[in-house]
Amino acid sequence: MEIKIMKNILDRNQDKAREVRELLLSKKVLMVNLISSPGAGKTTLLERTCSRFCDEMKIGVIEGDITTDRDAQRLKKYNIPIVVINTEGGCHLDSHSISKALDSFDLDNVNVLFVENVGNLICPSQFDLGENFKVAMVSTPEGDDKPGKYPMLFREARAVLLNKTDLIPYTNFDLDCFRLDLQHVNARIPLFEISCIKGDGLSEWYNWMGEQIRI
Amino acid sequence: MHEIRIAKDLFNIILAVAENAKLSKVTKVNITFGKMVQIVPEIFEFAFRETVRDSVANDAALDIEIAGIRLKCRNCGHDFQLDDNLFACRICNSYETDIIQGNELFIKSIEGE
Repeated sequence: MEIKIMKNILDRNQDKAREVRELLLSKKVLMVNLISSPGAGKTTLLERTCSRFCDEMKIGVIEGDITTDRDAQRLKKYNIPIVVINTEGGCHLDSHSISKALDSFDLDNVNVLFVENVGNLICPSQFDLGENFKVAMVSTPEGDDKPGKYPMLFREARAVLLNKTDLIPYTNFDLDCFRLDLQHVNARIPLFEISCIKGDGLSEWYNWMGEQIRI
Repeated sequence: MHEIRIAKDLFNIILAVAENAKLSKVTKVNITFGKMVQIVPEIFEFAFRETVRDSVANDAALDIEIAGIRLKCRNCGHDFQLDDNLFACRICNSYETDIIQGNELFIKSIEGE
């Protein structure tokens, strides 16, 4: 006997993501899901972004890490609420772990919540966390071919950050190839070419983030 | 690696449906994966076999249909299959396209007795 089911396998995750989204909307919290490969510079970006915004608004961070709290330790100096989710080998965060983490925040005292997802370009893009939007980050040493190789992330994200532009002279990264590859996958998406270490391009990112927060 | 998590969520659906229908054995599971979700069928099959071990679905065959990526142009309405990484309309060159097929992570049915 055949039993028709016809449903999304990740419905359970989707249902919880919807609950998270409704909760955040009611508390007027903007949640940003930051996705990149390991070592692309997510934590350095958050250090820079916290430094820029933490006097103006209340920032919270959820740090997704396979193990250790090293990223969270780096953000402690900003005196912001941080919750670490150790996935113990899991390659992505899901809406259930986010929902549980939210219990540890006083959401009436948070304006923006950054989620640093586990370093990975494929798996995290499949799992809706209930965020307002995803931001994709890549760094120049990874190569200029990432948008075409991981189209789902670059289609789903609302913005792309290209980090470590200061290293381009020391790599075979072709900036024009990268821009064209991204345009082919998602021509509408804003691209910020930055160096978190040198500070290049970050003011454009801050302006854009500021606009998203005000919306 | 998301194959493992997806196999677990699939298994939970299979268990609930099998229990509800009072199946003693699930013989086949029919699913569709879109190309956008980048599931590797061999890895998924491995994850599935490990997940269903010693359950009612232990011997279930897995039928994975892979759905290609289809886009629809917002500008001219053209509907086309994506065979490369150029997400622009083939007729009017607009980049304003929507994915209408290719994001599936879908369980169609199970078979059992």
